[in-house]
Amino acid sequence: MEDWFFTEEQRMFRESLREYLQNHITPEKVVEMEEKREIPRSIHDAMADFELFCPLVSEEYGGAGFDLVTAGIVGEELARVDPTGSTCVYYLVPASWSRMIYLYGTEEAKQELLPKMTKGRMFCGIASTEADTGSDLGNMITTIKPIRNGYVVNGAKNYISGIREARNTDGGHVTLARQDLAAGVRGCTLFFLPLNSKGIEISLDREMGREGMSTGGFHIDNVEIPERYLIGEEKRGFYIIHEGYEAARGIIACVCAGAALKALENAVAYMKERKAFGQPLARYQGMQFPLAEHWSRMMMLRDWAYKALRIMDQEKQGKASRMESSQAIAMAKLWGPLWAFDAINFAMQVQGAYGYSLECTEQKALRAIRSFGWAEGTSEVMRLIIAREVLGGTSWKGY
Amino acid sequence: MRIVVCVKQVPDTTDVRVDPEKGTLIREGVPSMINPFDQFALEEGLRVRDRTGGELIVLSMGPPQAKSVIMLSLAIGADRGILLTDRAFAGADTLATAYTLSKAIEKVGDVDLVVCGLQAIDGDTAQVGPGIATRLRMPQVTYAERIEVVDGTLRARRVVEDGNETVEARLPALATMTTPSDFVPTNPPFTRIMKAKGKPYEEWKVADLDADPGRLGLDGSPTWVEKVYPPPKREKGEMLEGAPDEIVGRLVEILKQERVL
Repeated sequence: MEDWFFTEEQRMFRESLREYLQNHITPEKVVEMEEKREIPRSIHDAMADFELFCPLVSEEYGGAGFDLVTAGIVGEELARVDPTGSTCVYYLVPASWSRMIYLYGTEEAKQELLPKMTKGRMFCGIASTEADTGSDLGNMITTIKPIRNGYVVNGAKNYISGIREARNTDGGHVTLARQDLAAGVRGCTLFFLPLNSKGIEISLDREMGREGMSTGGFHIDNVEIPERYLIGEEKRGFYIIHEGYEAARGIIACVCAGAALKALENAVAYMKERKAFGQPLARYQGMQFPLAEHWSRMMMLRDWAYKALRIMDQEKQGKASRMESSQAIAMAKLWGPLWAFDAINFAMQVQGAYGYSLECTEQKALRAIRSFGWAEGTSEVMRLIIAREVLGGTSWKGY
Repeated sequence: MRIVVCVKQVPDTTDVRVDPEKGTLIREGVPSMINPFDQFALEEGLRVRDRTGGELIVLSMGPPQAKSVIMLSLAIGADRGILLTDRAFAGADTLATAYTLSKAIEKVGDVDLVVCGLQAIDGDTAQVGPGIATRLRMPQVTYAERIEVVDGTLRARRVVEDGNETVEARLPALATMTTPSDFVPTNPPFTRIMKAKGKPYEEWKVADLDADPGRLGLDGSPTWVEKVYPPPKREKGEMLEGAPDEIVGRLVEILKQERVL
C-alpha cells in the first residue's frame, strides 16, 4: 500500500533519502554527536549535499523548492535515524525561518542571505522567546526603533536554538520585537538579526536532550540593523510570524511520528526476541494491547501531519484559508509530542531495565520529543488555536 | 557516443513471498526496486558518458509501473528513458527478453555501447546481456567491474576466479557489470528527481518495433516455469550445550541413532 498523500516523486525522494540517511547518520555518528555535543561535520556536509538546508526556498536563491509535505518527509526520516532529535532541529528551524525571509524579506536580503543559508553555510534561527515571555508575545521587552537607514534593537532573548551555530556561521535569527509599545502584539515587527552584530552578548544553556544542538540566550544592546533586514512591514510581525511557526509545527509533527514509529519498531523487535516465563513478550496480550494503541495513534498522527502540511501548501495556492491551515497544524502539533512521548515511553518500558540505560536509543528519543511540547508553540497554545477556530466557526470544513 | 543501459524493476528480495496454492510470486503490495546490478551498470555507463560526452539512454521492459525505475535512472543522471510496455511483451523468458531488447536497441540506432547488469536478482540467469550482444552481433564482455572507452575501444576489467583481467573490445560492444563490494548506490536528492520529470521519456509498444510477434512475450518463450516454491521450512535444529567432551559424546550418540555413523 502506498501513502496516499505523497506524489510519485515524493515517494521516490523518501526512498532515496531513507537509504542516504542510513548511510550517513549511523548509530556511531549519533553517539559521537552526543559525546561532542555538536553535529559532526560529516553529517552537516551530508545534509548540505542532499539539499536539506533551507529547502523551502526556491532554486532561484539556491534552495531545493520543496513544498511543505516534502519538508515533512525530511523531518520524519531524520527522526528515524537520529533519536537525539538534534539534526531534526538543525534542519527544521532554518527550513521554517529562512522561508519567512524568502516569503517576506526584501530582495536585497534574499540575495545576500538565502544562497548561504541554503548551502548550509549560514544558520538561520528564530528568536521570539524571552525569560519572562514565551507565548505572551505582546509583553516582550525587546524593542525595535527606526533610525536613519535602519533600526536599533534593545532587549534580550532566551531559550533560543542555534546560538553557537549562528555565531560560527555569521548567521542569525529571525527576531520579533515591539515597535509600537502601546499596541501589544499588534505593534510587533519581524526582522533578521545577525548574531555577530556589535552589541550582542550570548550565553549558552544545557538542555536535557538534543545534544548536538546548542541553546542559549543573548542580550541585545543598541544593536543597529540595516533596513533591508526587515521581514514584512513594520508592526506586521505578529501577523506573519505564525506562518514560520506553523511550518515548523507541521514538520515537528512529522518528526514525532518518525521518532515514535521507529521506537515502536524497536520495541516490536525486542518483544519478539525477549522471553519471559517461557514465551516471547510479544505473545502476551498485556504487551499487545498498548502496542496496538500506540501504533494506531502514531499512524493516525502521521497521516494528519502530512494532511495539515498539505493544507498549508494549498493555502499558498489559494485553496485553503490561513485559519484552516492554522487549526490543522495545531491539531498535529498538539497530539504529536504527547502521543509520541507516550509511545516512546512504552517502547522503553517493554525493554525493562535496558530501557533506562544511556545506550538505549528510546530514552534519547524520549528526551528529544519532550522538547516539542513547548518548541515553536506550547501544547496549551495549540489548544487555544483549535478552540478559537471551532468556536469561531472558521474551523476546517474539508471533512 | 551513444550508450544504452538496460535496467529491470525487481521485487525487493528481502520481502518475497510465494502464493502456496498458485506457486507464483505474490507481487501485490511488495515493494519494488531497481535491480542492484543494473544500478551499478547505469552508474558505470554515466561515468563513461561523462568522460566521452554524448548521451545515455536507459531502457527497460516491464509493466507500466516499471516507469519508476526509468525515472530513478533519469534522476541519477540518464539523459533519456524508454520503457517497452505492452501485454504482448509479458511472460517473456530470457530468450524473448533478449530479442525484444535487441530490437529496441536497433530502433534507437547508432548505439556504441550497451551496458547491462550481470543478472537480475529475481531470476539470476545472467543470460539477457549475452543474448542481446549475440542478436546485435556485438562483442561482449561479461563480469566487468570497471569499464572505460578509449579511442573507440571498450576496455573492461573483468572479475575472474583468481583475480582480475583487463580485456578490450572494438565498439560497438556490450558489457555486463558485476557490483564491487564497495559500491554505494547514488541516492538522488529532490531537485534531481523533479528534473527527471522534464527529461525525454517514451513508452514503446509492439507496433513501435520491427520485431517478429512470434518471438515476443509468452509466445516467444520456450522456457516454461512449472512451479515456483519457497524452500521447505526446516525444523529448528537442536542446540547442544555443555562442556566440549559432553557435547561430542552426545553428538556421536545422535549421529549413530540417525544411522549417519
